[in-house]
Amino acid sequence: MSEHYLIISMLIGILAMVPFFVKFERKKVQARELVILAVLIATAVVGRAAFFMVPNFKPILAIVIISGVALGRESGFLVGAMSAFVSNFLFGQGPWTPFQMVAMALCGFLAGLIFHKYYAKADSFTGKRKLPLLIYGALSVFFLYGAIVDIWTILAMTPHPTIATVVTVYGAALYFNLIHAAATVIFLLLLAGPMLKKLNRVKIKYGMK
Amino acid sequence: MRNTFATYHPIIEFGFFCVVIGIGMFMIHPVFLAIGASAAFIFAILTGGKGSLKFTLCFLLPMIIVVMVINPLVNHQGVTILFQLKYSYITAESVIYGLMMGLMLTSILLWFSSYNKVMTSDKFTYLFGRIMPSISLIFTMVMRFIPNYKIQIKKIADAQKAAGAAEAKTLKEKIHSGIKIISIMFTWALENSIDSADSMRSRGYGLKNRTAFSIYRFDRRDGAAAVFLAVMTVIVLIGCISGACHVDYFPEIVYAKANLIHISSCIAFALICYFPVFIEVKEVLVWKHLESKI
Repeated sequence: MSEHYLIISMLIGILAMVPFFVKFERKKVQARELVILAVLIATAVVGRAAFFMVPNFKPILAIVIISGVALGRESGFLVGAMSAFVSNFLFGQGPWTPFQMVAMALCGFLAGLIFHKYYAKADSFTGKRKLPLLIYGALSVFFLYGAIVDIWTILAMTPHPTIATVVTVYGAALYFNLIHAAATVIFLLLLAGPMLKKLNRVKIKYGMK
Repeated sequence: MRNTFATYHPIIEFGFFCVVIGIGMFMIHPVFLAIGASAAFIFAILTGGKGSLKFTLCFLLPMIIVVMVINPLVNHQGVTILFQLKYSYITAESVIYGLMMGLMLTSILLWFSSYNKVMTSDKFTYLFGRIMPSISLIFTMVMRFIPNYKIQIKKIADAQKAAGAAEAKTLKEKIHSGIKIISIMFTWALENSIDSADSMRSRGYGLKNRTAFSIYRFDRRDGAAAVFLAVMTVIVLIGCISGACHVDYFPEIVYAKANLIHISSCIAFALICYFPVFIEVKEVLVWKHLESKI
């Protein structure tokens, strides 16, 4: 059965997301909330275009985390999964898609779970209160996003992963994960304040919960 | 590019890719891999043309070689020792197994490259719009927002320049100007989106008995294709489950003896994989024939 790690892990990834999607469909979400989610996803994907002059520097994960913080864990999950999915429509779908979806979704979900209450007030992302989210951003790149997406690399390289393979792949990925973590922290530092403010403002202005 | 397969009903196309990619990921039998990889290659060329050829030569071939080299380095199972490195053995079995894995990966990536050409996002929305209406709606909106936002980003960048913002030179300046652009765009997008939400509501979004327009029709040709693909898939699955297509690579390469079930499941798999190529060829022949009549 060992040959089937790749497909089995893909299936587990897809199945793990199903309950969230089902729950979301059952909730009969209002048009305004749907549109806000779509705006966040599109911003996360398009963010790349605004940074065309700085390669490898992507705000997508930072925006997913901000979505989770501002709108709660379920929205964070959805924005994460959909951002990965949609951006792969532009950059190419592949066996890595479910891994990226699960990884981003978890980053958004946990951000919502931990920080939704902590940053509930419009201007709470200031001074020392910035620190926890920045630390979370850096850690989530390594221990959630990197760890999950690199499973695909490991399984694509060899069907019989050993500790040695895992160490090699994670070692080789370290440099990319470091850049990604730095990018996420910088984006959180600069974007979280204004974006949280704007989201809170829209929520108050249009009477959303 | 000519692509007759893309004119079929989306459910046929989606089903086809699920079957070939799904079976392609499970089967490490050399005959299956050869069939799958060759069909995926031809179909990718048909749908993608020169781009796919370049992708295969510049990216996939090197990848096969990398997997072929890495596999024996980390996997020392197998009884036929080719040569000895300092502390470990390189076995023929693991080299061959690496080649098979490389082929499998190649054919999956090639299938995905034609999937991206055939299953456009509108077909995807059509297929999943009924099962997941809210998520499909978000998906559709995002696909529309993205080009809008790109245009808006360009406008904002131009306006910033016109307003006298100095051109960003250092990395820090570039990041700051990018952040500023995203932030401005986000404000615009949020306000704009509330307009579209109100517009949706006033047009009756979410009310009962509303239908969605779709341009796809399931006709007899699609029905025939569905039956054909389903029957062939069942034959392949029988072959897989009965163990007739089983191969052991370690410690020794052992094939199940070729029997009727094995041969018929190979043929069925070939018929599935080459299905889009067949219909393309048929289309060309019919066209030539009609042309000659004029």
